[in-house]
Amino acid sequence: MSRNRNEVVYLKHRRSRRLNAVSIPSEVIIHIILGLFCFLCIIPFIFVVIISFSSEESIRQIGYSFRPIEWGVQAYRYVIDLGDQLWRSYFNSFFVTIVGTILSVLICVLYSYALFRVDFKYRKFFTFFSFFTMMFGGGLAPTYVVCKSLLGLKDNYAALIVPMLVNPFNFIIMRTFFQSSVPVSLIEAAAIDGSGEYNTLFKVIVPIAKPGIATVALLNALAYWNEWFIASLYIQDAKYVPLQYLLMKMQNQVDYLVRNSAQIGAEAAKIMADLPQDSLRMALVVLIVIPIACAYPFFQRYIISGLTIGSVKG
Amino acid sequence: MSKKSTKVKSASQGFASRKKTLSLLSMVAPGTIWLILLRYLPMLGIVIAFKDYRIYTKAPSFINNIKNSPWVGLDKFKFLFATSDALKMIVNTIGYNALWIVLGLVISVSFAIMLNEVTNKFVAKTYQTLMFFPYFLSWVVASYFVLAFLDPTRGLIVHMQKNQGITGYNWYSDPKPWPVILTIANVWKYTGYSTILYLAAITGIDANQYEAASIDGASKWQQIRYITLPHLRPMITILFIMNVGRIFNADFGLFYMVPKNSGPLFPVTQVIDTYVYRALAATNDIGMSAAAGLLQNIVGFVCIMTANTIVRRIDEDSSLF
Amino acid sequence: MKKKVLSMFLTLVMLTMLLTACSPKEKETDKNVENAKPTTEASKDDAEPATDDKDDAKAEIDISEPVTLTWFLCGSDVSDDTAVLAKANDYLKEKLNVTLKPIWGSWDDFDATATNKAVLSILGGDDVDIYFTSAWTSNAYYEFAKKGSWVRLDDPENNLIEKYASDTWALLPEVLTNGAVVQGAEGLGTYAVPGYKDIATQNCWDVNVPLLEKYGYTLDDIKNTDYYGFGDIFAKVKAGEGDDFYPLLIEGAVLERMVTNSIMVTGDASSNNILSYYINPKDTAADGAYGNKILSKFETPEYKKFTEKTREYYLAGYIDPAMGNADQAIPAREATQLTGKYLIGTQSYALGYEDQATQERGFKVAMVPCTPAYVDTTSSQGAMMAISTTCKNPERAMMFLDLLNTDPYLFTLLDYGIEGEHYELVNDGEVKFTDKRSDYKPWANGMGNITQLPPLEDQGRDFWDNYKAYYGAAGEIPILGWTFDSTDVNDQMGALANVAAEYALSLNTGSVNPDDALPKFIQKLKDNGIDNVVKEANKQLDSFIEEKNK
Repeated sequence: MSRNRNEVVYLKHRRSRRLNAVSIPSEVIIHIILGLFCFLCIIPFIFVVIISFSSEESIRQIGYSFRPIEWGVQAYRYVIDLGDQLWRSYFNSFFVTIVGTILSVLICVLYSYALFRVDFKYRKFFTFFSFFTMMFGGGLAPTYVVCKSLLGLKDNYAALIVPMLVNPFNFIIMRTFFQSSVPVSLIEAAAIDGSGEYNTLFKVIVPIAKPGIATVALLNALAYWNEWFIASLYIQDAKYVPLQYLLMKMQNQVDYLVRNSAQIGAEAAKIMADLPQDSLRMALVVLIVIPIACAYPFFQRYIISGLTIGSVKG
Repeated sequence: MSKKSTKVKSASQGFASRKKTLSLLSMVAPGTIWLILLRYLPMLGIVIAFKDYRIYTKAPSFINNIKNSPWVGLDKFKFLFATSDALKMIVNTIGYNALWIVLGLVISVSFAIMLNEVTNKFVAKTYQTLMFFPYFLSWVVASYFVLAFLDPTRGLIVHMQKNQGITGYNWYSDPKPWPVILTIANVWKYTGYSTILYLAAITGIDANQYEAASIDGASKWQQIRYITLPHLRPMITILFIMNVGRIFNADFGLFYMVPKNSGPLFPVTQVIDTYVYRALAATNDIGMSAAAGLLQNIVGFVCIMTANTIVRRIDEDSSLF
Repeated sequence: MKKKVLSMFLTLVMLTMLLTACSPKEKETDKNVENAKPTTEASKDDAEPATDDKDDAKAEIDISEPVTLTWFLCGSDVSDDTAVLAKANDYLKEKLNVTLKPIWGSWDDFDATATNKAVLSILGGDDVDIYFTSAWTSNAYYEFAKKGSWVRLDDPENNLIEKYASDTWALLPEVLTNGAVVQGAEGLGTYAVPGYKDIATQNCWDVNVPLLEKYGYTLDDIKNTDYYGFGDIFAKVKAGEGDDFYPLLIEGAVLERMVTNSIMVTGDASSNNILSYYINPKDTAADGAYGNKILSKFETPEYKKFTEKTREYYLAGYIDPAMGNADQAIPAREATQLTGKYLIGTQSYALGYEDQATQERGFKVAMVPCTPAYVDTTSSQGAMMAISTTCKNPERAMMFLDLLNTDPYLFTLLDYGIEGEHYELVNDGEVKFTDKRSDYKPWANGMGNITQLPPLEDQGRDFWDNYKAYYGAAGEIPILGWTFDSTDVNDQMGALANVAAEYALSLNTGSVNPDDALPKFIQKLKDNGIDNVVKEANKQLDSFIEEKNK
């Protein structure tokens, strides 16, 4: 254990900024490049917010514009009219995202840690075993049948969580994070100290690999938060409908009516005329993106500060 | 590693090694079970690509339907080659992917390194958050943003041109600018995502190494070259291999939504995925869709294995397996 | 290298293990199903020996065994169905001993451009008894009839229609029952109950009346000319309204059909149809210019003439360039309609639409028809209910569908909700919806025979009489009921769909020069096998007509 402590003490040293920072002109150039790119990245979102608050009349008259001739909250009012279902769906989405992220990260860390261990006897096999599924899949219909009929994933929370629990791509990413941040000597040292595999993983490795784990957690959380297709397949009961699916349903309905108005007839025109189509589309984006964007800094703390604080808590 | 523990006898060594293997096996167990149930089991459905799927009316169930559907061999694959545009769409798909793999790599790695050099961590965090925003927006939404500028009658650009007395220009019927537009859109959307992967890899690097190098008088460039990049190598290689595996798969939303499915742009926007999508929408055949997926997977698999073999020759540690 | 081989081998072993682990189960379920079938049949036989010869009257049918029917609907917007279902199920329990379990499918569950819930549910063999189907949804009636997804209702061995639904068939217009006869897995027959809704097609010029009159024209000026004669009117209005005004507001594909008098060929499923059948614009029951023949849409002189005129209009600034961008065209058209910045538009008409449009857009809208109303295969198969082959009780399902289409109480309850809760009756029998209706809003026209419904408040008391008169009088086209089965030429259809997507809309809206693009387009169609497809279609049509005339 003493060796371990030593490393911890070393790592706790802050990196001396003054000594080893880039020159001021270089940093100015960095700021210009990154600043410009970030501007490009955020402008579309600002645009989305503006459209979502434009009146439908304005969009009809002048199209999508940064300066609508009239503001309005029709779109949001339309969504709020969903009432209890909206809050219920928000809850479902949060619940599924949190539980799903925790479980999927746990499975991912366990699996990829074993893949990372060069001395694991079946390492190659299990690497290939997971990688293979990334390349080949049975397709939608067979997966649907297995999930619904065999595993009973139908109208329950498990139906929203289980199908996305594993992503082989994340296994490989996580393994790579381990490779680039965990010195093999650390594991050897722990083994000499008689630490069990699980103990080594959670007490020694996980703290060091925090940036990587946080990244994978972020990707998983995003995937869970944005998922609506799985819900559309397996969820019928309004009780379990997550936010994304609730809103996508509204959106898809509009799109569908627009495309098939000729076949559905006058009724379609009527439904569409009642809907704030364009502003609604954008309002839905705002309602979906804001919560996950707010959760972003939580993950980011571990990703960016990994170095600056260099925290390795035992 | 057991070599170092001199005290332990070989018998207990074997025991320890078995115990270790068992522990590690128990770690992969949850993932393995999931993969068997939700990935390997449905793979049996691949046979649909070789069958003419119909309902077995006597006892309709998915398995019975598959079992009793007639074999048609490779018939369902034919549509993929039935087009006179086959070459064009393959060239488009590979061309864009190759360009974007390189471009994405260079830009993301440089951005990750730059972000790491920003002194004020609050600003760095802000940059990084903003960069990630495009990843939140779907291609549909992005397509409306593009439309706001390029709309032939109400777009911002047309307005500006009209104000200056230039006649409007229909962006959606001229293919020339679209390779650039698509490339910008791709960089815009995915840079934040891959930057975060590289950045997390950089932050995982032991700070002492930089400190030591800086004390030894290494310049920033030298530090990047001799510390940062070598540490990033596994991540760069892995992402590269994975991207090569998807070189025959195009980002459907980008090629279909962003150009608004506009016909005159097909010479530069028609890729394998959009072709397959349109063909399947017209024929609605589950066997053909299985066949298209399978063929793309096989080609991707071959690409990945090739890339992996090459990488392993050069640097075994960075390879996929 | 050795290790890789080993790991591949291990994967293979695991796969085979999976396969073998699976196959006994397969057999088991297989056996179960096979076992289950005879036993249910046997038990039924035991319970009701009389039912075997139940050919004559409905009264004799034994319904002592309770049955639950799962019903997959389309276009629903239902968040709370408890009250309606409780009421409907009480009623159904008493009448048929049936409990209804609806799946309120939405529009996108049937989206023909994506793999979706309805198709997966059918292909995956879910326990659903009755599916919504139509010619234009993803679970296309004809296609799935051929795949064996639907029970044949007029099976000579067990004619469910005769036994349980003769009332419905007596009441449906003949065009509907004729249009529902297709070549399915069990031969030429009926595989679904057609819904009586807006079953006719009639394409109209949608005219902005105030604007037309502003420039001194009347509706007669539109009626008395045709597409090729609109030029002067457009020129005058365009000059008066300015550069940003586009007098001709079109949906490219609809415009093409209106001008050339071609119709959609059912089964030509790509979003840009590549096949044409020409009708007679004066008398839709008579043969058109080419008789009973399918043509390659883009190779006819009619099409060439049309694109040349359209190009002329486009260059003169009569058509908004946005109409040529596939995914932008329809939303842009909707928006422009509502702002009234157009003179003449294209519209596929439904009875009463001019009033609805006038109300929505806030100015007087008139519809000038190009042809009389007619029924083609697509419109006759607009909304149907099919019994799934997974259904364990097709008899009871058929009885339910019959009751649904003939019992106004049940139909109104399921379609409009509960009187006093979801709607109120005003003016002696007109429906006025309450706020609760937003919780229970199935697709009103998608359920069945909507002529049983009470009229809505703004529809007027005689609405349904007019409705039946209009749609009842709609003539059938000579090839009603025929659907193109593209199975044998699917490879070409896929490639051709891509070719059509590249050229058709731009030509239909004039945004490219036909002198240049049309020959290229036709050449590419030929390169991708259009001739083969047309030949196959005509072969099928000929044999259809032969069989029909027998």
